[in-house]
Amino acid sequence: MSDCVLQTEDVAIHYGGVKAVDGVEITLLRGQIRGLIGPNGSGKSTVIDAITGRRRLTRGKVLLRGEDVSAAGVVERRRRGLSRSFQRTSIFGQMPVRKQVELASSLMGSADPGADADEVLRELSLDTRGDAIAADLGYGEQRRLDLAIALAGRPAVLLLDEPMAGLSMRESLDLAQHLKALAARREVSVLLVEHDMDVVFGISDVVTVFELGRVIAAGSPAEVRANARVREAYLGSAA
Amino acid sequence: MSPPRLLLCTTIALALGVAVALGVRSATLLSLLTQAAIYAVFALGVGLLLRQNGMVSFGHALFFGAAGYVVAILLQVKAVPAEAAMLIAVLGSTAFAFLIGLVIVRVPGIAFGMLTLAIGQMAYLGASRSRGLTGGADGITVEWPSALFGLPTATLLQPWAMLLLAWSALVLVLLMLALLLRGRFGAVTEATRDNEERARFIGIRTLLPRAAVYALSAGIASLAGVLAALNTGFVSPESLHWSLSGVALMMVVVGGTRVLWGPALGAAVYFLAKDLLGDHAQHWMAIFGVALIVVIVFAPTGLSGLLLRLVRGGHGPAAAATRPGA
Repeated sequence: MSDCVLQTEDVAIHYGGVKAVDGVEITLLRGQIRGLIGPNGSGKSTVIDAITGRRRLTRGKVLLRGEDVSAAGVVERRRRGLSRSFQRTSIFGQMPVRKQVELASSLMGSADPGADADEVLRELSLDTRGDAIAADLGYGEQRRLDLAIALAGRPAVLLLDEPMAGLSMRESLDLAQHLKALAARREVSVLLVEHDMDVVFGISDVVTVFELGRVIAAGSPAEVRANARVREAYLGSAA
Repeated sequence: MSPPRLLLCTTIALALGVAVALGVRSATLLSLLTQAAIYAVFALGVGLLLRQNGMVSFGHALFFGAAGYVVAILLQVKAVPAEAAMLIAVLGSTAFAFLIGLVIVRVPGIAFGMLTLAIGQMAYLGASRSRGLTGGADGITVEWPSALFGLPTATLLQPWAMLLLAWSALVLVLLMLALLLRGRFGAVTEATRDNEERARFIGIRTLLPRAAVYALSAGIASLAGVLAALNTGFVSPESLHWSLSGVALMMVVVGGTRVLWGPALGAAVYFLAKDLLGDHAQHWMAIFGVALIVVIVFAPTGLSGLLLRLVRGGHGPAAAATRPGA
């Protein structure tokens, strides 16, 4: 399992009697893209929050490159290589584009944050917008900037919470292709929560399906598509 | 702005100060400019907190007044030389602000402002009632020695020399801030101000930078307090009162925080306009209140933002008009 970058063991988050997430086990290999799908409220975003330290685990462990990071805080996990984006665009509105990507890179200990920022911005087609103030960007550009901030400093794992939310179909497919190429080129492992099934099944190597806080199926996109329980619970007969 | 250009601007500004201090003959005008420069330093401190932390303080007079009291009391009991007393006043205020900052900068929005107000007013009441230590409501005279920094105090207190001193302090504080904020500290605090949660998720421990900005802004306010004590030779509880914090805040709003020197411009406008009003100055706060409303409505980035827009031709996206700049 030397290629295993991220692993969750029996992860549970309970709020009193409510089991938001229960007994979740996920493995992510180097350079792999794993899609997380499921109905609203099924626990996908909570799992990302649990992995990144935003929410405290009720039970279980999060292992990053084999090391238990369950007790580490948000900052510590990020510095160890766990990076994330949010459902709602989360950027630094009044800062220039390049400056914020460079800052994110330098905080990860990059040898040359400026060069890293330039590379990420070029890969996400934002290189001509480096001096622009983030608030002045269009929505699609802001979503890409959100991704650029998360990618800065070459994290080992990228957790993306609905990165295509609010984008047009064309913008979604464009960003998905960027993401696929970036994951391969940078050997970053991606955990992708997304409601756009075309995107998830188009770029994921493996897909995990959630229902009521538990994993009900996992496998290749083709296997998951063919799974009767998944079709019934989430995809519907048209899938 | 690059460091060589910054140094050039600083040299020009210092030279301008020398020219005005030596060229102006009117003691009244020199005194007015000195007051404006001292309050410009104070406003820079309050403005820094707003600009880098996005926080509004209604209690920065605490640091302004307390620094004056520390100097006055230390000189009264002859505990340390005057130069050391001034240094202790500034560094002590900064350290104290850092410690309370570690607690209060965690409190968001208006609650933070109310906390600063409460702490400041506690100090005001304390100073008003501790007659033995502070002279109570009557205040305390600062007993300056005959020489300061190797110069005769009488010379230093000449109107032209006080202006030169206050102006130099203002210029050097601006230079220090410009150099500090163009580096990583500036980027970290801007990111934290814009989006604290995301800042944590890119690896910033947000509490320390926020507390550091609070401490730095308090240190600058206390430097202004020391200069004011030197200028007037007197400290009273009024220098701790929340209304003084309010005046500094008004200067910041009028001047704007889009550029570092915005609050200083606000202070200059405040004093010069007040003087120009002459006999009407008894209604000064009402007039300034109207001016404040006009600025907030028509120039939300303050006079400095308006000036920059005019210089650049009034173009640019809406967001550019509201962001804090270099």
